Amino acid sequence: MATQANNEDRIALLQGTLDLLILKTLLLGPCHGQGVARIIQRQSEDVFLVDHGSLYVALQRLEDRKWIRAKWGVSDNNRKARFYSLTPKGREQLVEKTGEWRRLTRAMGLILDTNSELTGEEA
Amino acid sequence: MFNRKRSAKDFAEEIKAHLELEADELRSEGLSDEDARWKARREFGNTRLAEERFYLKGRWLMLDKVVRDLRFGLRSLAQSPGFALTAILTLALGVGANTAVFSVMNAVLLKSLPVSDPDRLAYLRTSTAPRGTGTVDTQQTFSYPVYDALRRESKGLSPVIAYVPLSGSKVAVRVGPLPEEAEGDMVSGAFFSGLGVSLPLGRGFSPQDETDHAPLAVLSYNYWTRRFARDPAVLGKTLYVNSQPMTIVGVAAQGFEGLEAGGSTDFWIPLQSRPELNAWGNPLEDGKNYIANPTWWCLRLIARLAPGVSRAQAIAQLQPIFQHAAYIGLGKPAQDEPLPQLSVTDAKSFPGYDDEYGKPLRILMAMVVMVLLIAMANVVMLLMARNASRQREFSLRQALGAGRGELLRQLLTESLLLVTAGGALAWGFALIATRLLGRWAEIESSLAPDRTVMLFTLAVLVVAALLFGLAPLRTALAGKAELALRTSAATSNTDRGKSRTGKIVVVLQMALCVVLLVGAGLLIRSLQNLKNTPLGLNVDGLVVFGVKPNVVSLPEGRAFYQNLIGKLRVLPGVESVTVMEERIGSGWSNNSDMMVDGRPSDVDAASSRTVRSNVAGPDFFRTLGVPVLAGRDFADSDTAATPLVGIINEEFARRFLPNVNPLGHTFGPNNGQVKITIVGVVKDHKYRSIDEEPIPMAWYMYAQIPMVGPMHVEMRVHGDPLAILPAARKVVQQLDPNLPLIRPMTQRAQFDTTISRQLMFARLAGFFGFLAVVLVATGLYGALAYRVSMRTAEIGVRMAVGARRGQVVWMILKDSLLLTVVGVVVGVPLATLVSRALSASLYGVRPLDAATYLLAVAGVAVVALAASALPAGRAASIDPMRALRTE
Repeated sequence: MATQANNEDRIALLQGTLDLLILKTLLLGPCHGQGVARIIQRQSEDVFLVDHGSLYVALQRLEDRKWIRAKWGVSDNNRKARFYSLTPKGREQLVEKTGEWRRLTRAMGLILDTNSELTGEEA
Repeated sequence: MFNRKRSAKDFAEEIKAHLELEADELRSEGLSDEDARWKARREFGNTRLAEERFYLKGRWLMLDKVVRDLRFGLRSLAQSPGFALTAILTLALGVGANTAVFSVMNAVLLKSLPVSDPDRLAYLRTSTAPRGTGTVDTQQTFSYPVYDALRRESKGLSPVIAYVPLSGSKVAVRVGPLPEEAEGDMVSGAFFSGLGVSLPLGRGFSPQDETDHAPLAVLSYNYWTRRFARDPAVLGKTLYVNSQPMTIVGVAAQGFEGLEAGGSTDFWIPLQSRPELNAWGNPLEDGKNYIANPTWWCLRLIARLAPGVSRAQAIAQLQPIFQHAAYIGLGKPAQDEPLPQLSVTDAKSFPGYDDEYGKPLRILMAMVVMVLLIAMANVVMLLMARNASRQREFSLRQALGAGRGELLRQLLTESLLLVTAGGALAWGFALIATRLLGRWAEIESSLAPDRTVMLFTLAVLVVAALLFGLAPLRTALAGKAELALRTSAATSNTDRGKSRTGKIVVVLQMALCVVLLVGAGLLIRSLQNLKNTPLGLNVDGLVVFGVKPNVVSLPEGRAFYQNLIGKLRVLPGVESVTVMEERIGSGWSNNSDMMVDGRPSDVDAASSRTVRSNVAGPDFFRTLGVPVLAGRDFADSDTAATPLVGIINEEFARRFLPNVNPLGHTFGPNNGQVKITIVGVVKDHKYRSIDEEPIPMAWYMYAQIPMVGPMHVEMRVHGDPLAILPAARKVVQQLDPNLPLIRPMTQRAQFDTTISRQLMFARLAGFFGFLAVVLVATGLYGALAYRVSMRTAEIGVRMAVGARRGQVVWMILKDSLLLTVVGVVVGVPLATLVSRALSASLYGVRPLDAATYLLAVAGVAVVALAASALPAGRAASIDPMRALRTE
């Protein structure tokens, strides 16, 4: 599936966005690490390349901050897996971070759009 | 938070679970079992890295690492104890010397007065004192009427505070039955409140106390500790000052030791009006004390700037008041007389210290900084040498995956260990050294290192730690990982760049060493010149002490001294006894213009008319051992009833009575009221200090002039001069039980005090020069020995192909001789700069003294040769076969 060719279309995640994506994914319900990686990849239409090593470190970081909690359980196909779920604190963070992100993308969009118009006029 | 909730094992298990889940999913997408496993693994990337990152997130990790690094550092230092010891000691000496000198400088030059808001305090100064006045210091002292006017009418400076010592040195006090001495000042009522000095015990003075001349005393914390063991019951006790009872009402804040330069005031009393407590311990002049006498400018003044007033404004307002008050009781100023100008000067630090100690201390500081540079260079060279021989170790560690950061951390930890040990030792050295320095410099205020000094030392140590950590890093990293694979010492140790750095360091060290040796040499030669200066009198066997009798009338005073001399003369072992007003060799003198034969002495414009005079007793010159060239000495038969007689020195005769026989001519004070007949001419000799030039001098006979007051007794005795003191003390106390012997000491010790500063300065400079030489020698030895050891294989090869021992020795010596020559060429011009800066502190030796320079250069050369000889000898004794086989 993930060939060299479509790897090039993927974007490495921006610093700090991974946390937000994890929280958003867990909003759907408890999930294990592999599942989170799959969901992020799928929902971004395979644009985001989730480095699995970073994912687990990030999960640990969120757990240390008590934004998510974890429990060993059994997966759909009867495999042992560690399931993560959102804490109330995590929900708050998700709302806050989403707002921040929206503001950031809006601002970025404003700047980038203006620039393209200028270039267009000059050209 | 402090306990990791999850183990690394748990984390690894999660990753394993992930891989299985991923493989399941891939299998369900139709991959073969093996492909699915492989792909899951590939997708994940480096699982170990993730686990490591998990581990690295641990909160204890930093500490864990530090502990590991420390252990490792300690182990690796313990492996080379010689290196560690040398480095620590070198560092301790370098930093210790700096801390010590800096803490003296801090205490003497940088520390603020321990008062509140010292920035707004200012000492009052005058450009000059009006004609017809006598001063203690032309610029720094004022008359009582001036003080009174300023204090009443000043708006910008408020309060104006006066303070004046009760004696030029110490004053007689008594608490219990036995007389003692202490340093005391008379001060304004606003002294403590105006300066903002707190009183942890009791109270200070009030303006009313000053008006009433209240018999009260405040003790310094230091004196309270020393004399009263911090007994709180001291309040209310009586302190007899010159036999006048004063009630102790307070103890001043710790650290406040008065405003006198270099001294430490023991107690303060309000300004007094009794004749026994005149300013500076002087006898009354025409029955007038300092308050009543407008011609005696003797009070020091300090003032606080009122809020919102600038110095210029304050002075502008005070100038006319000052200039009017300056002439109260003196009449109108003469037409051509420049009016005295009032000014203020910063009172943030202690007055007078800067003039007295500023220059020597700055030069010493420069010297110790050079010593520190040499010491640091030494340690850097040691570290570089050591780490170069550990290059294999570093290469191997890099090859095994240690990052540059890891290596840097290890090097910094090792340097931190060295610096901590060195720093701790340095602090110990500094504590001892400041105590010794304080004793030598006769600075009584505390010199102990404080927080500023500690910060300074820490800053030096941090710089050292970084330097020692980073300097060897280049060497450590220079050997890339592949170096570990190389095997031959002959090839792996020929890094030209590195040896060039080493050479530069050695050359700089030698240059600094030349500078230090020249400086130390010049100062030591000055000191020898000073010590060998003929005094013109025979000080061996002389002992001197002061007495301050409680007498008010002239006949009473004369009788006291006559009695005293008579009783002392008959003590066993005493050869002769005399008295004098100014103690010789104490730096004090009476200076004035004189009339000769009833006219102002006419001299050519270039010479001064100033004559130094002293008041002397019978047998004065016989006691001192000064040859009488013509005429006679003073005798018991010269009394108030006989004609006035005086004695002059050669210089007086040469300048004012050239080409005539001075005997029978007269001299006298400038007012022409008294004429004194010259009955003797004595050989020139030292009066104030060892380093003074000959100056015209005249002596009066004490029994013939109108003065009673403290005098100094000079005794010539057989055997140990100090052994006579108990007997002398008994005699004095028979006359008056309240009288202590003031500053009893041998006359030689008294003269030595006049060069004590030069003495200390030269001793310290000599010590630092010696330290520099030792450091340079060890550094050079280390560097050369290291270079030779690096070239063992090369030397082996050379000898195997036929080089003789002589050639090998020469090869090594040539190396260090070249370095020495370059070091000297760099050092000598630097040394000339330093010599110029020193010129004011030199005595009888020119700043560019060829012999000193030659000695310094020879000293460095000898050190270099000696340090090279051992490694060279070792190089020559290498067995070619063994040298080649070492690898």
